[in-house]
Amino acid sequence: MMFNGRMLLATVIVAGIACVGVARAQTISYADAITKLGDDCGADIKKLCSGLNLGNNRIANCLQEKAAKVSPTCKASMASVVASITQREQAQSAYSEVCRGDIAMHCKGIKGDGYILACLNKATKVVSNKCSQTIVDAGWR
Amino acid sequence: MKRVLFSSFAILAAAAFLPGLAAAQEVSQQRIVSGLGKLTAAAPLVDIEVLRQEAMNGAGKQMSGLPNWSKIAQLPQMVVEINFVNDSVAIEPQSYRTLGLLADALHHPDLWAYKFLVIGHASATGDAKHNFELSEQRAAAIKEALSTTFAVEPERLYAVGVGEYFPIDGSNADAANNRRVQLVNLGVFTHKP
Repeated sequence: MMFNGRMLLATVIVAGIACVGVARAQTISYADAITKLGDDCGADIKKLCSGLNLGNNRIANCLQEKAAKVSPTCKASMASVVASITQREQAQSAYSEVCRGDIAMHCKGIKGDGYILACLNKATKVVSNKCSQTIVDAGWR
Repeated sequence: MKRVLFSSFAILAAAAFLPGLAAAQEVSQQRIVSGLGKLTAAAPLVDIEVLRQEAMNGAGKQMSGLPNWSKIAQLPQMVVEINFVNDSVAIEPQSYRTLGLLADALHHPDLWAYKFLVIGHASATGDAKHNFELSEQRAAAIKEALSTTFAVEPERLYAVGVGEYFPIDGSNADAANNRRVQLVNLGVFTHKP
């Protein structure tokens, strides 16, 4: 499930997204990413790419075509959001492999991915730093 | 074509113990996971085209009275609101965050093994055929956004529109809360056909 930063950007639009104020994770969630892009790029999208729907890269393509007119705030926000969500995606993809040893050692016999994660999150004192960091970066702790 | 008042849409996904489908609540990732994750038995096989036909031909009947839909009605599901531009498939920007929350939940180990059905519903305001098509397109738009922008594997998502054919029990079919989207856990995702 690799995340395509341009795709996320494709969704951003306009205004009106009020509910931010969520605790900062080490990487950004999809919900916070779309909210931040809405806040920082909304005006650009409204001006340059209005009427495009979420999904399939429509808005990203539009902003790229009109890059010369896109505000610096939007560009900077895009870069940081994409970097953060990419890091989260990579952690989510790597989790099963990185934590395999910890699961075998500390959560043996537990069935179900959700329960295994809950077990690892309970055993924080003994779980390896690498696995812990991956879980944090994945946005799961 | 008749203009339909159709601005608000909701994702419903009610737990099995919530058959009547409560009003949309504020969505959170925890609520999505707890609402959709309660699959206790094996989910039945479903065929989207069969469901579509059954909805169209079963007008006037309740979901629970149709052979294939009655199986769907028993699966974990919940209600979230997704707003659309009037008579359009364009998702309102204020609903983007809700889609992001859904995506975060679908990327979590609690739900990442499951596949989901997005069901678009309309209220009975306006032309029935138009409502049917629009609900189908809106369900597809949600699937598209989740599977592209929010990187959920497209193979995990199914979309179907049922127009105004399944109003919420005991409600007036014209009522705005019948414009909604249902999200249903279809069971474990495998690559097998």
